[in-house]
Amino acid sequence: MVACVSSHLRKTGDGAKTFIIFLCHLLRGLREITDKEKDSFLFENIQTCGRHWKNCCRWKFISQAFLTFQTQILDYVMDHYLSRHFLSIFSSCTKERTLCRSSLEMLLGAYFCGRVGRNNHSLMSQLMCDYVFKCTACESRFEEVLELVDDCFVELKVGVTGLPVSDSRIIAGLVLQRDFSVYCPADGDIRIVIVTETIQPLFSISGSEFPLNSEAQFQTSQFWITERTKAIVKHLQNQNVKLLLSTVKQPDLVIYCAGLNGISVVECLSSEELSLIQRVIGLAPFVLPEASSQYELSHTALAKFCKPLILRSKRFVHLGLMSTCSFAPHCIALCAPVQGLVEQHENALHGAFKMLRQAFKDLDLNCVTQTSDQSCTSGPCIYKNSRESNELPKIVNSSIQRSYQDTVVKNKGELAKTQTNLKVCSNLIVPSVKLEQNVLCSTPKVAVTDSYQTDETLRCSSPNKGRIMDDHEPFIESNSANSKPENTRREISYENLQVAKLARKDSILPLRYKSLETCTSQSYYSSSIPAGCVLPVGGNFEILLHYYLLNYAKKCQQSEQTMVSRIIANAILGVPKILYKSKKGNYSFPQVYVRALQALQTNQPMISNQTGLESVAGKYQLLTSVLQCLTNILTVDLVISIKRQPQEVYDQDSEEEL
Amino acid sequence: MSRLEAKKPSICRSDPLTGERARASLAALKGLVMSCYGPAGRLKQLHNGRGGSVVTTSQSAALLAGLPVSHPVLKVLTAAVRNHVACFSDGGLFTAILCCNLVENVQRLGLAPTTVIKLNKHLLSLCTSYLKSEDCACRIPVDFSSTQILLSLVRSILTSKPACMLIAKEVDHISTLILRAFLLTIPENAQEHIILGKSIIVPLKGQRVIDSAVLPGILIEVSEVQLMKILPIKKSDSFKVALFCVSLSGDLSDTGEGTLLVSYGVSLENAALDQLFNLGKQLVSDHVDLVLCQKVIHPSLKQFLRTHHVIAVDRIGVSLMEPLSKVTGTWPIGSLGSISPSSYGSVKDLCIAKFGCKHFFHLIPNKTTICSLLLCNRNDTAWDELKLTCQTALHALQLTIKDPYVLLGGGCTETHLVAYIRHKTRNEPESVLRDERCSQTELQLITEAFCSALESLAGSLEHDGGEILTDSKYGHFWSVQANLPSAVNWPDLPSRCGCGLYSSQEELSWSFLRSARHPFPPQTCLSREATGSADTLTLDCFTAKLSGLQVAVETASLILDLSCVIEDTN
Repeated sequence: MVACVSSHLRKTGDGAKTFIIFLCHLLRGLREITDKEKDSFLFENIQTCGRHWKNCCRWKFISQAFLTFQTQILDYVMDHYLSRHFLSIFSSCTKERTLCRSSLEMLLGAYFCGRVGRNNHSLMSQLMCDYVFKCTACESRFEEVLELVDDCFVELKVGVTGLPVSDSRIIAGLVLQRDFSVYCPADGDIRIVIVTETIQPLFSISGSEFPLNSEAQFQTSQFWITERTKAIVKHLQNQNVKLLLSTVKQPDLVIYCAGLNGISVVECLSSEELSLIQRVIGLAPFVLPEASSQYELSHTALAKFCKPLILRSKRFVHLGLMSTCSFAPHCIALCAPVQGLVEQHENALHGAFKMLRQAFKDLDLNCVTQTSDQSCTSGPCIYKNSRESNELPKIVNSSIQRSYQDTVVKNKGELAKTQTNLKVCSNLIVPSVKLEQNVLCSTPKVAVTDSYQTDETLRCSSPNKGRIMDDHEPFIESNSANSKPENTRREISYENLQVAKLARKDSILPLRYKSLETCTSQSYYSSSIPAGCVLPVGGNFEILLHYYLLNYAKKCQQSEQTMVSRIIANAILGVPKILYKSKKGNYSFPQVYVRALQALQTNQPMISNQTGLESVAGKYQLLTSVLQCLTNILTVDLVISIKRQPQEVYDQDSEEEL
Repeated sequence: MSRLEAKKPSICRSDPLTGERARASLAALKGLVMSCYGPAGRLKQLHNGRGGSVVTTSQSAALLAGLPVSHPVLKVLTAAVRNHVACFSDGGLFTAILCCNLVENVQRLGLAPTTVIKLNKHLLSLCTSYLKSEDCACRIPVDFSSTQILLSLVRSILTSKPACMLIAKEVDHISTLILRAFLLTIPENAQEHIILGKSIIVPLKGQRVIDSAVLPGILIEVSEVQLMKILPIKKSDSFKVALFCVSLSGDLSDTGEGTLLVSYGVSLENAALDQLFNLGKQLVSDHVDLVLCQKVIHPSLKQFLRTHHVIAVDRIGVSLMEPLSKVTGTWPIGSLGSISPSSYGSVKDLCIAKFGCKHFFHLIPNKTTICSLLLCNRNDTAWDELKLTCQTALHALQLTIKDPYVLLGGGCTETHLVAYIRHKTRNEPESVLRDERCSQTELQLITEAFCSALESLAGSLEHDGGEILTDSKYGHFWSVQANLPSAVNWPDLPSRCGCGLYSSQEELSWSFLRSARHPFPPQTCLSREATGSADTLTLDCFTAKLSGLQVAVETASLILDLSCVIEDTN
């Protein structure tokens, strides 16, 4: 269990406590069920086996049922029912996805609440929010930034002990946790070179022999070494290099020459620091030329500044690198009175970056739906209804039309990817807007390529007179590399068909929900949880899942699926039960639960009394991790304890974890 | 021989603060630090029964470094204080006492930690914003045109460390020296960014304190034997200096990772020595007067240089390299080959000085920000304490340059703050109650706990059983002798308040500290005349105290937030 939790935590940075709570409830639920239905649950062929064996088979059976649930039902429920409740962290007012600052603050605030001390979590979420926005040079590519920050977090933070936590701040530029070997103040843009070997040639390289026949030879060699070192450094100076970053320790001579030529030197960079710098400025290490003749220096980069930074009377190297990627380099100086607190905040921040990274990834769901035979009208595109409700027709349909034409006209035997954006902004005061839209694409069957027909109906009704934002992005993947029509495998996924509406007046978040009916000739389509899906905190996800799973269980015919759904639905409720344990009166769990159920039954929005958001992708991953852990536990039939040297066992454990 | 032992399960203790053991250890630590506080603080002797050195001190830096602490809560507390001291040098005891007081007071209340932490944070922000605001009456802007305030600051730091064993005359002398040493580190033509120089403290134990001195430039200690070899220094107005960071001992380093195959009869030592002589020749032809080397100089090279009237001093050590390079204006030379003429530097004068029984080679620079503070004290422990104090004072002066304010010392800042907070929370509680969602009673309880922690901190300045009063105009700290006869009209007794800003000449009404009284608004906006009139004030470093206050409250919150301690036993 511990290994599972830690591997989950390493990946997602969130949900360790929920993991354990949920798993415990699942195991308890399982025990209850199996105790109750002692024999009714058995296969006939097991009855011949011994008691222990019987148990094992039963567990195995159950674990397989869980696996089926995880791979089929969970995704189906997520996609068909839960997805309509998802909110998006992006502000969808604009065409591009832009991060909404207040939503991000709510997401981070809820995250830090459970991880840092009570008096620091607002400060930490503010700090992190500022950091994310400062580091993102290009608004739309923050995923890359998050990825980089998560990977190189250790190099991007500086821990300072002895100062109050409130002194923590963001430092523009990169801070390397070492001092200059030589520092020469320089103005203007600073040209940087990275080296990974000593500039001074070695007397002899390892594995070789250097025969010395006379003293003069020794002296000449040394003279040559000195001269060559000088020549290289001089050359760097001629190329206007002002800063030398070295991964190895350079000999005194190099340091001396660099100082004389006005080149600052930073030595002994770790490989992690080097890789971070290389990612930021895209600079390859400088390769020392074989011959000392003229050569061009191709691998240089620029920095805005390069100066010492003093933090707690320690000197650090402070670099203002000019970034060539979407990450604008910034560092976080984390201050706290004691080292332990610094570490706590570091871990929390790192986890938060992991969490964000996961939250901003599209998460694929596999849904297998039954084949639906709906008659599909073939014909030209009909945009009648959408045009009616649309005030801005020019934005709307041009792309769709284009993509349609593309697919019709070209229809090449290649993977065609079309992305269309449909935006319907209607501020009409209509009591209920009915938007029906048919996107129909058909190609004659005579052609080499095949045809596909889609009929997609989007119905949305808004109780409030509000803006209706429709972000419609059908992602059509038509893979017809194979020219044989009967063998063509097509995946048509309709994604991000959302109707964002401002249902709650106080909420700035657009509610995105999908009501999507696709009629394809195929029975398989894949969908996903789009990036940035969130739900309010306080057990919303758990209650929703609980509700819809129970509903599903009622409809389901297969008995073991019903059972598994019930067990999971009840176990997941354990999480909000604990969350509301200390609350009294109107905010106690039964009250909250009843209110939520009522809202769901009457199709009204659930009202959360807590501010804060959590990522749906994180929750989903947590569920799957727990279920996987559970199946692992259930499939083990015997634990053999072995006696070995404790030290060895410990070592092996740690290796496995790595 | 190491023994393998299976990992024992960790010990998990919930509520680490409630146990009797925790309370007792906290009280013990509190008693320890409180008794050290202030000019009248008692000294502590740290020593191991088996022998070894003895530390006599009343400073938190030395005390906590040598104090074995086992309780996890106390470990957090002492670590916080030591980190604070590492950052600011000053205010360690202040932080420790305040933190202990806060934890104890709040613990006694038994309120939910969430509320306590929220409100403590609020009260802290009240304090910090007041201390940073313009109308703060316990903060004095530093006037750099006179030495009065800076000297008072240094004096206050010196007098608050009784283990230095200084008499009044010596305090005067040392504080002047410290201030002079500090002023010497400030560059003459300062631009936007001032880069302060360095004062190097040179130990001279066993001498009278009054013999301490400040000298511009650098003192390099030389043994008598070395001294004999150094030639009489010729008179000149400038000396050319070469500073080496590589070894001049002729050893063969950096021959690479491969093997050197040396033919019979070839002596690499000779080759290396030849190289050294070539170097020596170049130095002589470049008219270098003084060769300094971080590492060792080969005796032959030394001899060679001496015959050419070049003074050579080796084994300087890495710590002096940076100041030496600054003083002389040299680039430390890392090459045995040709030396670029631009890496030579110069000094104005060279002389050999004798202080006490030690000989020094004194480099007098043309113009630089490096000076040497020759510090004398009678014995080792007192010298160690004095050195630490001098470093504290120099650091405090540096911090004051950065943030040009000082706080009133002698307990006056604390009592004034208490009056301010009490008044503020009594008269304007609405905003707090709304923002922090707590009840009026909770606010009052926490405010009282916070204020009494500060008051008890101020009260711990008094160690001789005296009574402490506060006035109801300024909210300052007044100390009176113990056992005063009740017949005496005691408001007449205290002549000056703790910081020395106000005298009892004014019509003031007093009340006992820690007695129940009506909150009053302390007079804000310090007048210029008030600060000008008093000649000797007791002052504290603004930055250090402000940060100490924040660290103390944050650490107390951290400790109060602990609900469980998990400890590994092996």
